[in-house]
Amino acid sequence: MQYCTACQKAIATIVVMDLSEGSVTGSQHVCAECAEQLGVTPPKTTKFAAEMLEDLLGGLKPERRDTPRTECCPGCGLAPSEFRSKGRLGCPRCYDAFRHELMPLLQRIHESQTHTGRLPSTMAETPPDTELADLSELRQKLEDAVRGERYEEAAQLRDDLRRAELGESSEREDN
Amino acid sequence: MGKQRGGSGRGRDRSGGSGGSGSSGDAGSPGGRDSGGDRNFRPGAWLEGTGPENDIAICTRVRLARNLQGFAFAPSLDDTESERLYSFITERLAKPGLPEHLSIHDLEPIEELERSMLVERHLISRELASSERHTGVAVDDNESVAIMINEEDHLRIQVFGSGLQPEQIWARMERLDDLLMQRLPMAWSEEFGFLTSCPTNTGTGLRLSVMLHLPGLVWSEEIDKATNVAQKISLAVRGLYGEGSRALGDFYQVSNQITLGRNESQIQGDVMLAVGRIVQWEREVREALLRGAARVRTLDRVHRALGTLERAQILTSEEALGCLSALRFGIHTQLVEGFSIDAVNQALLLSQPAHLQRYTHQTLQPEERDQRRAQLLRELLGCSP
Repeated sequence: MQYCTACQKAIATIVVMDLSEGSVTGSQHVCAECAEQLGVTPPKTTKFAAEMLEDLLGGLKPERRDTPRTECCPGCGLAPSEFRSKGRLGCPRCYDAFRHELMPLLQRIHESQTHTGRLPSTMAETPPDTELADLSELRQKLEDAVRGERYEEAAQLRDDLRRAELGESSEREDN
Repeated sequence: MGKQRGGSGRGRDRSGGSGGSGSSGDAGSPGGRDSGGDRNFRPGAWLEGTGPENDIAICTRVRLARNLQGFAFAPSLDDTESERLYSFITERLAKPGLPEHLSIHDLEPIEELERSMLVERHLISRELASSERHTGVAVDDNESVAIMINEEDHLRIQVFGSGLQPEQIWARMERLDDLLMQRLPMAWSEEFGFLTSCPTNTGTGLRLSVMLHLPGLVWSEEIDKATNVAQKISLAVRGLYGEGSRALGDFYQVSNQITLGRNESQIQGDVMLAVGRIVQWEREVREALLRGAARVRTLDRVHRALGTLERAQILTSEEALGCLSALRFGIHTQLVEGFSIDAVNQALLLSQPAHLQRYTHQTLQPEERDQRRAQLLRELLGCSP
């Protein structure tokens, strides 16, 4: 950790580099406040997650051609372009407003699009659909076994899952 | 080496005082405005040096990201709304009935150095310290709970514990989260779970981190292979100190990245799977480093670090961390005697720039800091000047 060379008080979070004909001729470590006074705009964020998001969102852009145009969020007014450039949502309602772009993004970040953990107690008590829950539990177990490199167990689980899925789909056809 | 440290051996004496001074203080500023008390210079719960596997696992931290219904996420709030949110949250947090006794610290009026101290104590993030919004932090008496207010999410609830104890920490967090949900209307949906400002936290909003001290793996150049174990199952491995990917002082932090589609116990399972293997690996390489021809090289390394701590007149933060890491390793592997882990932990904290300046009551230039740091470490470790 380095202190700001300008004010000597705050922790330096920005490195200002002097460039001359493509090479670095000098550098200065400054805090955000002093950087602003020096007329240097700090980068939006230096978080790894944010960079990752921007990459991911960049990758999404070509797909937009086939998709309906997203409107601004009715809750906070966040524009789709802003969501794309920052990778941040503006309010809880953005989850609905940008759903179309959010789903593939969540899939890439988390390899999933649906929550399975805790919720406020009112919801947590609602019993889930047994059959579907069994299937997702099997899928989870399979995923765990693969992650844990327990391949024999994984093979068994895969077979179980296949059987269960077949059973479920034939039942659906009957209906 | 069996050498007794001079005088009363402060390094050793302090082991007895651990925790006592930390818990006896009132709910004064954790950042150290009441600098008359020793407590601001004692490590908080995360650096107590106790708990399971504490020779390798420094601390377990659980963090939940939560937002309130009816407000935009913190970065999108205008000043008026931001103020309204701040008052709403602090009022609700101040009501009695929470399992922890929380003191709420408004970060707006406090100076930069105090904020930096809170960062160094791991109670707040750098982002919160440098935020332009009205921010605050609610901290319990022994700094094992810290709730950041108005960070990227309205609430970032953190629970810390020394050593490797994810179940206990999670149990505390679950209870606290339940109670907070009763008094604050959280934003959530059945489909996405808890709604967060950044989609990387959506779902559980849970980040489980374990800080590990891995000098054995670093010295035997196995560290990259070890961290790969974690990265393969989508966990993040970062240095605890320093910026970017450099891990100063061989301190690493392993945490989950996936928060959606895996529930809390699965996330815990993922992190513990990797951490368990890495801890085991570290133990094995430590044993190897103490055997045969390797032993003398290891002894040399530890004693060179000790020599530096005892004699150096100028110590940068980076060099200090390296030497303290080697000393910590030497104590746990019984290569050196006469030093306590408690003193090393305190040295780790006080050699950080903000603590160093607060401790010495001086605003110091970097060179002066390095000189003062060398002197302070000699004092803390009981080495004669």
